[in-house]
Amino acid sequence: MATGPATDYRLIGGRIPYVEGPLKVTGRAEYTDDLSRPNQLVGRLLRSPWPHARLRSIDVRAARELPGVYAVLTGEKYPTPFGVLPITHDETAIAVGKARYIGDIIAAVAAQDERTAERALALIRVDIEPLPDYADPRDGVGKVAEPIHARGLNGSNIQKEVVQHFGDVDAAFARAAHTVRVKGTFAGVTHAFTEPMATIAEATPDGRLTVWSATQVPHYLHRALSEVLGIPMHRIRVIKPEVGGGFGGKSDPLPHEIVCAALAIETGRPVKILFDREDVFYTNHGRHPTQNDIRIAVDADGRILAYDIDATIDGGAWSSFGTVTTYYNGVLSMGPYRVPNFRYHGRRVYTTKPPNGAMRAHGGTNLRYSVEVGLDRLAEATGIDPFDLRDRNALPPNSTTVNQFRITSTSFRACLAAARARSGWDEKFRRLPYGKGIGLGCGFYISGSNSPIHFTPVMPQSTVHLKVDMDGGIAVHSMQADIGQGSNTLLAVIVAEVLGVDLARVHVQRVDSDVSPVDLGSYSSRVTFMMGNAAREAAQQLLGQLLRAAAALTGRPVDDLAVGRERYWSRTDPSVGVSFEEALRKAMEESGALVASGAYRSPKLGGSFKGARAGTAPAYSFAAYVAEVDVDVETGVYGVSRVWAAFDCGRALNRLAVEGQIEGSIHMGLGQVMGETMSYRGTRLMNPSLLDYKIPMPQQMPKVEILLVGDDDPEGPFGAKEAGEGPLIATLPAVGNALYDAIGVRFTDLPITPDKVLKGIDQRTKEGRPWKGA
Amino acid sequence: MHLDPFELHRPTSVDEVVGLARDLAGRFDYLAGGTDLLPNYKMHLNLRPHLIALEGVRELRGRSLERIGAMERLADVEAESALLAAYPPLGDAVREIATPLVRASGTVGGNLLVETRCFFFNQSQFWRQSLGFCLKADGDRCHVVPQKQKCYATFSGDLAPALMAVDAEVEVAGADGRRRLPLEALYDPEGDGIRRLRLRPGELLTAVHLPAATRGDPGAYLKLRVRPSYDFPELGVAASGALDGGRVRRLTIAVGGAEMRPVRHDSLTAALVGERLSDDRIRALADAVERATRPVHNTFLLPDYRRRMVSVFVRRAVERLREGTAG
Repeated sequence: MATGPATDYRLIGGRIPYVEGPLKVTGRAEYTDDLSRPNQLVGRLLRSPWPHARLRSIDVRAARELPGVYAVLTGEKYPTPFGVLPITHDETAIAVGKARYIGDIIAAVAAQDERTAERALALIRVDIEPLPDYADPRDGVGKVAEPIHARGLNGSNIQKEVVQHFGDVDAAFARAAHTVRVKGTFAGVTHAFTEPMATIAEATPDGRLTVWSATQVPHYLHRALSEVLGIPMHRIRVIKPEVGGGFGGKSDPLPHEIVCAALAIETGRPVKILFDREDVFYTNHGRHPTQNDIRIAVDADGRILAYDIDATIDGGAWSSFGTVTTYYNGVLSMGPYRVPNFRYHGRRVYTTKPPNGAMRAHGGTNLRYSVEVGLDRLAEATGIDPFDLRDRNALPPNSTTVNQFRITSTSFRACLAAARARSGWDEKFRRLPYGKGIGLGCGFYISGSNSPIHFTPVMPQSTVHLKVDMDGGIAVHSMQADIGQGSNTLLAVIVAEVLGVDLARVHVQRVDSDVSPVDLGSYSSRVTFMMGNAAREAAQQLLGQLLRAAAALTGRPVDDLAVGRERYWSRTDPSVGVSFEEALRKAMEESGALVASGAYRSPKLGGSFKGARAGTAPAYSFAAYVAEVDVDVETGVYGVSRVWAAFDCGRALNRLAVEGQIEGSIHMGLGQVMGETMSYRGTRLMNPSLLDYKIPMPQQMPKVEILLVGDDDPEGPFGAKEAGEGPLIATLPAVGNALYDAIGVRFTDLPITPDKVLKGIDQRTKEGRPWKGA
Repeated sequence: MHLDPFELHRPTSVDEVVGLARDLAGRFDYLAGGTDLLPNYKMHLNLRPHLIALEGVRELRGRSLERIGAMERLADVEAESALLAAYPPLGDAVREIATPLVRASGTVGGNLLVETRCFFFNQSQFWRQSLGFCLKADGDRCHVVPQKQKCYATFSGDLAPALMAVDAEVEVAGADGRRRLPLEALYDPEGDGIRRLRLRPGELLTAVHLPAATRGDPGAYLKLRVRPSYDFPELGVAASGALDGGRVRRLTIAVGGAEMRPVRHDSLTAALVGERLSDDRIRALADAVERATRPVHNTFLLPDYRRRMVSVFVRRAVERLREGTAG
């Protein structure tokens, strides 16, 4: 499909295989567990079998005495609280005083091998006082007998409460022609990345600590290690090997990473902690189970007048990103529409279950589902086609939302037009036979959180360093974290594009805090936009040095020189030019190796009210998806056969990577709609395995048609915006609305499993409603 | 999770197996494909210090229209198109077991004798310990039906109902020699869920025998599960039969994935012999099988739903059979 204005980019916009691809597909890429250090010990964690318990005493003597055991740690040794957000430090490396969920870490062992470590864990005696457990967040909104954390609001388990009101919602509802109310229930889901967490730590006699870890955000891990262990950051070195997926699950500094470092310090030997899948499930930080209740008001023409929202969000045992989650659930529900009046009351409540946190399209999926189902109902009530209804509510480019988000580029209307045309919507909607249906869902997401998590010191969000030496290879350093999404490739592409050199000259270096300048890492869909701009700036700086050398060699002024493939040549006389290597050698005469540094700084955005920064981003992505479903009305089993995914990521820099992100997002979104669920009985997770946690199989993937329709973003690198998280969001409501078209049942309790489908059909039949509305 | 050490024995004949089984009485498990046993061992479920590997026993191999050795890999059976065409329920079932990778290792015998499953049982030692062990492993109570001293774990093999429906027999070898019994007689209706097979101590399943009488009879096996691959059955229904001039000469229904053992519903199908397979009769039969099937809440899908699916699946399987006859 067409995209953006034509350009003569050499690499940008192409389909570039990942630079590390050959290593990954041949098994040569090094993930943390592929590494080992001489004399390495095995670290193991004792997890709480109790959902909520006061730890009266922990007797580790027998474990310490077991031959082959080098250290046994309990929480008191490193009690400094930490957490990804500086305002909510409520975690400790190992539980201090209380255990807060089944799976919480209450002791750790370093031993010569796995078996010895596990034997040692079995010898640890823990004396506890059981405390009341809290499975349902609704039970924690008032004063509770035993608050899970002291910081809960007024003796409750509420971790964060957000109340926002823009405009006048009550007045808007009073003049509404139609209103709709949707109450949604969403089970928790988890990232289920391929690579389990793994960390190696080594404390060396030179007083330094080195930590290799499967992390999305090496910088936050660096800070947390320093804070909890009391070691200055310059004495800690954080290395990120290849990472096999994260999706948000490796974006918090995690307790086991700190425990691993602590065990290394205690023993003086390298220690590795490798998680098994059950550990990963208990560590979780997945999407929050949520109950939301939204009312939407529209006028007679279907123009949105107001949203009125209430949301209760199940936080699990820790804060994690929860304060952000609480805001996002509200503020990210408005775009892609103009919503002139908005009221939101959200609360995130601690429960004694594995912590929830950031997961792909963090805060952007659950309320979105309810909104899109609500709009589908309003379209039916007003007799307006769902596409038309959304089109007339589209946020215009270069506008400001009621809560002062700055909208610059948006191709949302083009997304709608493309999805409508390609899917054959007008021939299919409400015209398919019983059991078959088509539905529309839309999406909106931040292209990078404008506010860094840490405000001190004030510094760029991303810095990229380049170095080119005699060999003509360009080394790229940045703490950006490639976790499989292709950011290393993007770095290489941008640098090669600007310098005009072959991609093979560019070597993106492993993230190593000793040499990589800070980038805040892979979360909030910030990397393409922020790192991309930093990389472009660094490359342009380097290009300047090369062009000055080329000017000296050719006798042409710098602004007469153009960048060709591996060559800088004169625009006025194209026969005059020098090769990249000639220019490089000349440039090196003065300074030796060339170095350059580029940075991205966030613009000043957002209002001045409390929480105004939450959800501000330098750009936003937009989506309109159509899904087609096929329901077996006797069994309730259904499949999603087709998805048309129209997406606005500005200019797609690496089309192959963007398509991969969209397909992967659709798969992940289908999981949340169709069957993935963190299944709890009370506070007990029933399915901590990939057999029982139902990720859709490849056979369940629909045929996906990707429609990239974005115009260039004015501030994105080469016009690009994010494509890593936004593409997930529209999947869910597109399927939900398609099910309604197929069988006449509205589903607001996710996942939509076959038993719920049958119950819905039963209910509809009982009420004597036809299966097609109107 | 790691495997605790065990002693591995590698016999090469059935006699040697029987001898080992006698010597190691009560302290061993047979190791066939290992696709179920070894994950269970990693979870520390009923560990035994000895494993008798059946890999090297030639007599347990071989596949023909009459006999399938117990150690035949599922993937190899899957490749026998004549065999699968001769017994349609078998063909349907074998293709639906787990994943291609599991079928490359898993065996016919292993699938018939697969450990029953329950989400209170198929969990790590940590998980089970935190709740309190159940009577199927290390404990003395059932978390599914706490008032009963019985294990309700679900029989989750696909081959058993399919092979039962075509009147397969199994051959077993033990200290008392060899014997053959109908497949359904392998699963003890009097069992308590822990003791659930009518095998004598140490007895080894050596082969499945397929009768000539049902060869070529139409039939089907239909499997309910959340995902179209990987998952164990949440219900499996096999139907096999033969019609003469539109009237039922033989009809069998076997149901797995629903209760502690696979069950053949001969008492419900017997009444249809000599009758035409009308839609009404099929529906009545399907409802009767549903009434006779009582799943409990120990798998992913809810028991009410699984039970309701029994009649849908029986009806569809019999309809397939009827169509197969017509065609």
